[in-house]
Amino acid sequence: MRQYAKPTLPPLPVEPDGLAPPSARLQHQGQSQALTASRWPARLDLLQGISGLALALFLVAHMAFVASILVSEEMFYRVARFFEGEWLFGTPHPWLVSLVAAGVTGLLIVHAWLALRKFPASYRQHSAFAAHRRRLRHVDTSLWWLQVVSGFILFFLTTIHLYDMLSQPALIGPYESADRVWSGRMWPIYLALLFTAEVHGGIGLYRLALKWGWFVGDAPNRGRLRLRRVRHVFTAFFVTLGLVTLLAYADLGRNHAAHAGERYQPPPSAEPARS
Amino acid sequence: MEIIHSDVLVIGGGLAGLRAALAARKRGREVIVLSLVPPKRSHSAAAQGGMQASLANAARGAGDNEDVHFEDTVRGSDWGCDQEVARLFAHVAPKAVRELAAWGVPWNRVEAGARTAIVDGKPVVIEEPAAAHGLITARDFGGTRQWRTCYVADGTGHAMLYTVSDQSIAAGIPVHERREAVALIHDGERCHGAIVRDLTNGRLCAYVARATCIASGGFGRLYQVTTNAVINEGIGAAIALDTGVVPLANMEAVQFHPTAIFPAGILVTEGCRGDGGLLRDVDGHRFMPDYEPEKKELASRDVVSRRMEAHIRAGKGVAHPYGEHLWLDITLLGAAHIERKLREVKEISQYFLGIDPAKQWIPVRPAQHYSMGGIRTDAHGAARGLKGLFACGEAACWDLHGFNRLGGNSVAETVVSGMIVGEAIADFCATPAGELTVSTALIRRCFERAQAEFAGIAESRGKENAALLLREMQATMTARVGIVRHGDTLHTAVDALQGLLRRSLDLGLRSSRPGANPELTQAWRLRKMLKLALCVAWGALQRTESRGAHYREDFPRRNDADWLKRTLATWPDPELTLPALAYEALDVTRMELPPGWRGYGARDAIEHPLTTARQAEVDAIRARLAGADRHTVQDALLPFRDLLPPHLRGANARLGDPA
Amino acid sequence: MIPLLRHSARPSRPRRLTLQILRYNPATPEIAPYLQDFAIDESDGMTLFIALNEIRASQDPSLQFDFVCRAGICGSCAMLVDGRPALACRTLTRDCGPRIVLAPLPFFELIGDLSVNTGKWMRGTAERLQTWIAQTQPVDLDALEARMEPALAEAIYELDRCIECGCCIAACGTAQMREDFVGAVGLNKIARFRLDPRDTRSDADFYELIGDDNGVFGCMSLLGCHDFCPKQLPLQTQIAFLRRKMAVEGWR
Repeated sequence: MRQYAKPTLPPLPVEPDGLAPPSARLQHQGQSQALTASRWPARLDLLQGISGLALALFLVAHMAFVASILVSEEMFYRVARFFEGEWLFGTPHPWLVSLVAAGVTGLLIVHAWLALRKFPASYRQHSAFAAHRRRLRHVDTSLWWLQVVSGFILFFLTTIHLYDMLSQPALIGPYESADRVWSGRMWPIYLALLFTAEVHGGIGLYRLALKWGWFVGDAPNRGRLRLRRVRHVFTAFFVTLGLVTLLAYADLGRNHAAHAGERYQPPPSAEPARS
Repeated sequence: MEIIHSDVLVIGGGLAGLRAALAARKRGREVIVLSLVPPKRSHSAAAQGGMQASLANAARGAGDNEDVHFEDTVRGSDWGCDQEVARLFAHVAPKAVRELAAWGVPWNRVEAGARTAIVDGKPVVIEEPAAAHGLITARDFGGTRQWRTCYVADGTGHAMLYTVSDQSIAAGIPVHERREAVALIHDGERCHGAIVRDLTNGRLCAYVARATCIASGGFGRLYQVTTNAVINEGIGAAIALDTGVVPLANMEAVQFHPTAIFPAGILVTEGCRGDGGLLRDVDGHRFMPDYEPEKKELASRDVVSRRMEAHIRAGKGVAHPYGEHLWLDITLLGAAHIERKLREVKEISQYFLGIDPAKQWIPVRPAQHYSMGGIRTDAHGAARGLKGLFACGEAACWDLHGFNRLGGNSVAETVVSGMIVGEAIADFCATPAGELTVSTALIRRCFERAQAEFAGIAESRGKENAALLLREMQATMTARVGIVRHGDTLHTAVDALQGLLRRSLDLGLRSSRPGANPELTQAWRLRKMLKLALCVAWGALQRTESRGAHYREDFPRRNDADWLKRTLATWPDPELTLPALAYEALDVTRMELPPGWRGYGARDAIEHPLTTARQAEVDAIRARLAGADRHTVQDALLPFRDLLPPHLRGANARLGDPA
Repeated sequence: MIPLLRHSARPSRPRRLTLQILRYNPATPEIAPYLQDFAIDESDGMTLFIALNEIRASQDPSLQFDFVCRAGICGSCAMLVDGRPALACRTLTRDCGPRIVLAPLPFFELIGDLSVNTGKWMRGTAERLQTWIAQTQPVDLDALEARMEPALAEAIYELDRCIECGCCIAACGTAQMREDFVGAVGLNKIARFRLDPRDTRSDADFYELIGDDNGVFGCMSLLGCHDFCPKQLPLQTQIAFLRRKMAVEGWR
């Protein structure tokens, strides 16, 4: 009869192929060890999402405010004064607008800086991704690229606009803004800004939902299709609203061109506080 | 010449090889595994339906134990198996399942309460006991008295292979992928490793080891229509045969699986029938009950395959441009069951047939599936003929399966034999005989011989095309050494194969791609495969009886009187075109279950002269020990525990056990 | 099987297919990669497995490619079919145009022609992410197995169905740019083991493995992995789930 040695587990040697000793790897498991991995990747990832979400929400709100011109010139005037804190201090304080503009600029820089981490960092990466995108012919992959491109463009366009708001915060009003659009020749910038911002924001919100698994439901494929439809509606709605609004400003600016630089004066009835 | 040393060299990275490697590794041995492909791509992953182990958790498995599993296995083998090995196996299988459960295999579990299952074509309500809730469940499979087949949907082999492979990675076992053992290093008495070819660049090197274990799987690719992966060419067995001293046993015992999709030959699991699927003919008639009133679709595979072929011959096949087939109907199981438990079947039907099996019948016809034969080993996996050589899994003839393997017993065999053989290898390495005493001259001689063999083929400018010869061989095997055999056709097959072997000496390569040339690889393998094919065909011709999967029209009865023995094929002279056959008798006087009727299939065996006496003896022992517990009775009939390492000897716990 | 298909009578005239295959042999680096055309008659139910073997048998015996199971379960034969990752063995030619472009999977080490070394990368990933249940004590082989809820076992299997074919990596825009990215295959494995009660690692342990830009935070949710997974694994939801868990872990 055979004699069996009791199975034992002597220490395992280091592998010749340069792998870490398995015993060390085994020890790793089953117990929480000292935390070594940086927590920053998680925080930065969250920040990227939060900054994007904040910018997208700002974009939506911003569109609502500027679109108030469609109601009436006076409506827009009131909205502008509102943001200058007139309701709080009694008199408008345009520096509040500068403050918001500065805040948005800061958010934009943070968001762009965080997003830059994911951009192709070299020609090799760039061409690898470009080739991949062409080969794959895949919607979500192409959407990301569209986001990269639109984000890149946005960074410059928004900077121009934000500098305006920072440096001339008082010049927000029906005539002031319309003059900027028409006589100030800003409409091409705003037109480009409208499309890129809405496309970028729409895709961004859509991808944010997918990334964190929000509003997807139990069936991921159907959830994604639903989100895509929502995105299309979102983009179409805001692009249309933006176009109409821009047209309204352009029209107002064209009619006001002869008096460019003249500030809007609300009808007296609207100014009871200042009389 | 590069030489790589280790304690243990395992040839083959499937379930059996990896499990043996793990066992040896856990005993502190340095192990290297060679694999033709990344190990998780091994053919073990293709096992779908499950693994047999007598856990007896499921309601329909109640009362199951090692004894029932043992008897099912022996009957399934048509008494061709080694009963001692079948005992080892039935005893260790529950341990293997439980070990795998602890390692992470997501076995399907018992859900307490009533559920509806399809049994014999009708819905039946099964009440699963609350006590078993959350334990490993089982499904029905062919040739078993209880529902014993543990499963992970229909990806059992995949889940097992991934788990065992991950454990081998955790244990730091290096797997040298895309490397093929092309010759054993031996001196006629002791095996010292293997000469190995790197399939990515064609380079040869020597692996020297104290123990070598061949676990390279089966040789399904000798056949044209097979469920086997393209890597199942039997090269592991072939290099053992090439030594001239290591016998391959029962090579004629080749299993045909009843349900391979037609015409591609891709497997759909026996679980389809186990879960209630039916076989239908051209008229939509369920024909199996006509032939097998007892087990119907769930007779053993050899019986079902034979009945299917007979039914097709009787004109009941469905015509198709590529031949005839029958139908597998699983529509009655419902879409929900198919989605959860038969997903691979669903995917395969969708992708390869363009049908939804929940709505349409699957065209099937039997195809080569498994090789019961292989490198003859003892109960510890030590190969005959060379010390230091071991084998396990499908490559071996451990002889668990005899002449027909039960579904669910092969993945079970891989891990169980891996557990046992791996320990035996570690034991061997600990003995003086396990010391490495090889001379560099011997290594060089073997290396140069292999080198010359490849150079000879690469430079040959003969007129034969390896790919065409291979196809001829495969066509010959499927047509003439298939499910139904006859002396005349076997004769013509042997002649044809010998002719092919001679022609294979006159190969001409059409390409000279530097590095790893696939044509060179194929041409080299061709000769090995032809020799294996000749072992199968020649052994089948000599065996003038029908047993299990080996069915001779001209000798339709099982003949225990003359053929209760194992065929041993060796190839002593490389110049010859036929193997030398010898026979090893099975000892009826030591059988726990003497030969009898299987409970299905034909009932006309020619009895062995000692059967009656042994049966009387067994009956007497049982009568004497009436009232004793089953382990005591069993031990009196066929003691086997001493063959196991101590940690595998314990009794298996079951739910119903007295506390 | 192949000749069986080949010699059959066909009702209508077969299409003539052109397979355009990327050829490259690392043993002859002086020959730059090039596309080579092979013409072949389409047969009924022809897959790329059949077509490629036919080409190797009758036109170019040196053509390199990998097939093992040829049934869509082993993951060996992933390649770019008309630019998109797919399992060649179960790609029917009738679903393709008359001109089919085949290229090896990008990202992985090229062995030759259509053959890439996925195995080496997958093993490295398994070691890096420790994709196994650690054995802290020996298993009691004689005792009843630990119980598990049936639904949990099925949920684990759902994620365990990955075949490591590499399609998700080839379809991943991030992986094309950053070679240290673990990809969906790696993240799915972490999700699988995280779900498994037999794995005793905590989220803090998993954060060590995937809590950076080479892990879950590197994923840009392009979802090529999800859309090209031949096993239809729920990669989109699993990665999002892990991201939430790891973000919570990282915010601590």
